[in-house]
Amino acid sequence: MSTVNSSMAEETAAPRANTLRSFNFSARFWVSLVLVAFVIAMGLFGLVYPTGPGEKVGSLYDAPGNGLLLGTDNFGHDVLAVLMAGTRTSLIIGLVAGTVATTIGVSVGLLAGYVGGWFEELLMGVTNVVLAIPSIVVLILISMSLPESTIWSLAIVIGITSWPWTARAVRAQASSVATREHIDVARLSGARLPGILLKDVLPYILSYAVMAFVLQVAGAILAEAALSMLGLGPSGANSLGTQLHWALAFQAVASGAWWAFLPPTIVLTLVSFGFLLLQASLDEVFNPRLRRGKRKQMKQAAARRAEEARSLAQHRTVDASTVSPPDRTRAGGPS
Amino acid sequence: MTELEPRRISDRTSRRRFMAATGTLGGAAALAACGGATGGGGGQSDSGDLVGVGNNGQAGTGRSGDGADQLFIAGFQWGPPTNFNTFAGAPAWPASSNVAQYVYETLLRFHIVSGELLPGLAASHEITGNESISLTLQEGITWHDGSEFTVDDVLYTFELGKIDPGLGIASFWTEVDEMTAEGSTINISLNTERKNVGAVLAQLAQQFIVPKAVFEKAAEETGNKVASWETDEAIGTGPFTLELADQTQVILARNEDYWGEDFYGALPAMTKIIHPIFKSNEDGNLKFQNGELDVMQQFVPQISKMWDSGKPVGTYLQEEPYFVPGSMPMFLMNTTKPGLDDAAVRKALAHAVDYASIAETAMSGYSSQVLASLVIPDGAEDQWIDRDKADSDGWTFDAAKAETLLQEAGYAKGDDGFYAKDGEKLGPWKLITPQGWTDWNAALEIVAKNFQAIGVDAATNFPQEAQTSTAIQNGDFDMACWYVAGTNPSTPWQRFSDVMSNVEMVDLGQTAYRNFGRWENAEVNDLLEVAAAAPDDASKKEAITALDDLYRVEVPAFPLMYRPDEFFEFNASNWSNWPTEDNDYAPPMFRGAGNEWIFQLKKIGA
Repeated sequence: MSTVNSSMAEETAAPRANTLRSFNFSARFWVSLVLVAFVIAMGLFGLVYPTGPGEKVGSLYDAPGNGLLLGTDNFGHDVLAVLMAGTRTSLIIGLVAGTVATTIGVSVGLLAGYVGGWFEELLMGVTNVVLAIPSIVVLILISMSLPESTIWSLAIVIGITSWPWTARAVRAQASSVATREHIDVARLSGARLPGILLKDVLPYILSYAVMAFVLQVAGAILAEAALSMLGLGPSGANSLGTQLHWALAFQAVASGAWWAFLPPTIVLTLVSFGFLLLQASLDEVFNPRLRRGKRKQMKQAAARRAEEARSLAQHRTVDASTVSPPDRTRAGGPS
Repeated sequence: MTELEPRRISDRTSRRRFMAATGTLGGAAALAACGGATGGGGGQSDSGDLVGVGNNGQAGTGRSGDGADQLFIAGFQWGPPTNFNTFAGAPAWPASSNVAQYVYETLLRFHIVSGELLPGLAASHEITGNESISLTLQEGITWHDGSEFTVDDVLYTFELGKIDPGLGIASFWTEVDEMTAEGSTINISLNTERKNVGAVLAQLAQQFIVPKAVFEKAAEETGNKVASWETDEAIGTGPFTLELADQTQVILARNEDYWGEDFYGALPAMTKIIHPIFKSNEDGNLKFQNGELDVMQQFVPQISKMWDSGKPVGTYLQEEPYFVPGSMPMFLMNTTKPGLDDAAVRKALAHAVDYASIAETAMSGYSSQVLASLVIPDGAEDQWIDRDKADSDGWTFDAAKAETLLQEAGYAKGDDGFYAKDGEKLGPWKLITPQGWTDWNAALEIVAKNFQAIGVDAATNFPQEAQTSTAIQNGDFDMACWYVAGTNPSTPWQRFSDVMSNVEMVDLGQTAYRNFGRWENAEVNDLLEVAAAAPDDASKKEAITALDDLYRVEVPAFPLMYRPDEFFEFNASNWSNWPTEDNDYAPPMFRGAGNEWIFQLKKIGA
């Protein structure tokens, strides 16, 4: 416990030349950021693209050319316009569903992990039951029974079927945090349950929650695609999944209309790959133990920090500083 | 090439030849170049003097081995065949009702292009006004088990409708008072009130005649619940017998003792008809394109791509729409809903739909221009339509006109962009049709967009088929795309009845069998009666036109497109002389008179 506090003190105490650098963003992070940014930009560019996704510009599966970069789909719409609108819809669904799933998952996990006892058993029992049911089956059943399918209803349905694993993981973290001393301090000083959960437990697992959120977004985008491909997608809206659905329904593969099914497939691949990579690289940022490769860089960083610490120590010795020797060696690097 | 290749291939084993036929033109040529070990070429060639070949004038070179004498067909059987009782809920092909007459046959055979009723098991039929029909049976007909076919079999088949009133054939007896036999002549006296000749003829042309001996036992076994009887045998009179049916295929073998050898001029050209069972359209379409299937009834998007890429694939018509229109998917509107109870709104909606776009994209160009009429302006029904009236009093796609009509009817656009009158907004309405009926799904997507564009709130919803069907029958829907009678001897009358009839109107929530939109009108029943009982063609046309006029004023529903009754697509890889517009000895169909081409196909290979 004390190590956490004292090393935090170290972090703030040691001045850095470049704060960004201290995060140690890997190449993976930048690649994933570019991928995600590209997909988001594509979704946004659809707003200024001259052709609307519902505008008939050609016939059934016109090949690319004649000013249409990706040809037309089975409705005679510009595939590029539909793709951009679809990307936007898929991202919105992903974000909303991710938020819903993470909110439920983190709430349930926090409560279960912190409160413990029969309450934990109950919540985790429910979670395990939900986890044991294949979520795609639940998704399909709920989607089929909905009277109307909009992108919002779809997002919420996806959200409320994908929270269990987040809840389990958060519970594990929360129950470990719950045993720490500062929680006792908070409790003794009279803080209430919501205050403790939000101010004293949540911050310690926030990095994990953020990563879970990113995973949930990627998962929700794929779930939407799967549902829409089965024809359970939002009606009247374009999404990557509905685009694939129509391509399948009108046998784009058999008739060789690659421009109808490849672009949404590629964007789906990019967006889920991008988000997963982002999650993995964020993991490395938040948890230095997971940083891989770059041993040389690590050593350099370690040497640099040791140097900084030494100069600081010398400086403080001159100023009669109180930093204790063992902590100084700890500051040597991320071990 | 035509001369050489068949001979070069003929000595190879059938499997190798069959494999080669699945290759593309290039691939097959490459295989052939590799020499004997890899099998013969499967290339196409100009058809020479063959007729009834691919739309690009190409024909294949024929299969070798057993496959050369077999016909591969698809598009009728999707699940494992379990029951060959033709009266069951979902019997297997070819025992399912109103399909190709390979095992079972009908008394009369309907020709979808000419509208004629050709002789089948009945050598002739005679209609006396609207009072009676008499049929004379062919001579020398035998069942597959060798027993003699008699008038009793015919009488018993229809009698089953009385024995088990749950069967579809029971409806025969609402139109018919009596059916008697005299020697080999059968007399049918029509119901004196309904006098509906067309409906009776349609039944005579669609009902497979079954052996009395077999079904008497079935009725006994099941306590007169004939529909619940299960059998893996099908004893018919047809040119083929059921040889084998398993999970993957149904095989029919030629009946060498077929009674119709003289009547049709020959035995069928093929020794076997094989129907492979596919999981999906795509599987079948791919096999069809490669010549592993000779003929099929499956929806192929953009079939023209097949002959453009050199495959010997053909359709009855050489130009769009390629298929002879035979049905009319209708856009139904629930006229009990506020807004939709207004004929002006319904007509405005009919103006709002971009029919050309539906025909071009959703239907792959397989639909001709839709007219404002319940009569299909082609083939058998063409003689009943008044085109001038359909043009002058009808509707075409005109969004501006649609909005004008709404405004004239007192509707004004609200802040939300949707028309409303007296606080009653037009919409939100749900457009339903079964999930997976892709062309209809796509058509409704276009309609919903069109409605949104003029300021009517509409969105699509595609439930499962059973749910959709229940919702439509119970009137639990706003708008739907659904089918009505396809071209048969009783149309167009039957279609008017399906769409407009006020007979036996039921309340919302109860099952209706016609007029699903619950449209109410005082005069339509009389008009329908007059049309059904019209004693001659002139008065029939007059009555049909009167109905069509009422239909155009009231617009209780409107057609979105035309569709063929059956898709009829062939691949002249192994067989030529397929029926086409220029070679029209048989209609482009499987059922009814479509059995004729099986006697006339010509084997291409040696």
